[in-house]
Amino acid sequence: MALTPETLTRHELNGLHVEVVDAPNPDLVGIAGRVVVETMQTLHVDVSDTSDGETRVCQVPKQGSTLQFEIPSRDETPAQRTDEAADVEKASGTASKLRSETAGGLEASQSGRLAEEPSAASRMSSGNCEGVAYVTVDGARLLSRPALRTEKAGDTTWR
Amino acid sequence: MSIAEERIERLHGLARKAAAEGEYERSREYVRLARRIAERNRCGLPRSFQRSTCDTCDVYLRPGRNARVRVHRGRVIVRCDCGETKRYPFD
Repeated sequence: MALTPETLTRHELNGLHVEVVDAPNPDLVGIAGRVVVETMQTLHVDVSDTSDGETRVCQVPKQGSTLQFEIPSRDETPAQRTDEAADVEKASGTASKLRSETAGGLEASQSGRLAEEPSAASRMSSGNCEGVAYVTVDGARLLSRPALRTEKAGDTTWR
Repeated sequence: MSIAEERIERLHGLARKAAAEGEYERSREYVRLARRIAERNRCGLPRSFQRSTCDTCDVYLRPGRNARVRVHRGRVIVRCDCGETKRYPFD
């Protein structure tokens, strides 16, 4: 069970690069950095600049915020897989926008593909040679104690 | 490999990196989280993880920095800065 867009909500978040796409507090939107500490309700994002030696950590609540994680993709990452999501949550609005982008990008010799979850959408950006997948997750899906997330946020067959 | 084992693997690397940067408190957080995951999922910890962490203060041990290592009577003896001593036989 590698770290894929499907298993992200049950996998380790520490060390992943994250960007806050949407949050109730407008000052938090746009924070980007590495996750260093995870608590039940929040993520601590290390936003310290590498140029100056000073460290700076922002605490972002999971509830209500939309987070975009950057997954280092490997060769067997299911780029071909496309799970169509039921169009319910607000994140799927982002997904359809991304899909139209990638559909336009395919003609422009980009091999962007899409894998969707309910309220979680991802985009492979292998077209611009970054080798990473961007996964957008509703922060409410991560609300759990970090150690219990592996068991509790299970992938039930009834979804 | 299950997700729990992979998480422990990742946390091992993160704890090592945090200790190398001098962030000992953060390395403790990672070690504690990895132990808790192993406990909840009943998968145990890799031997390399057990031997490079302190049982008492949970810090990731870096010989020469926060741990002293000596060899005595067929055992490796690792003493953490907190005073905890860990012994294991060498092969």
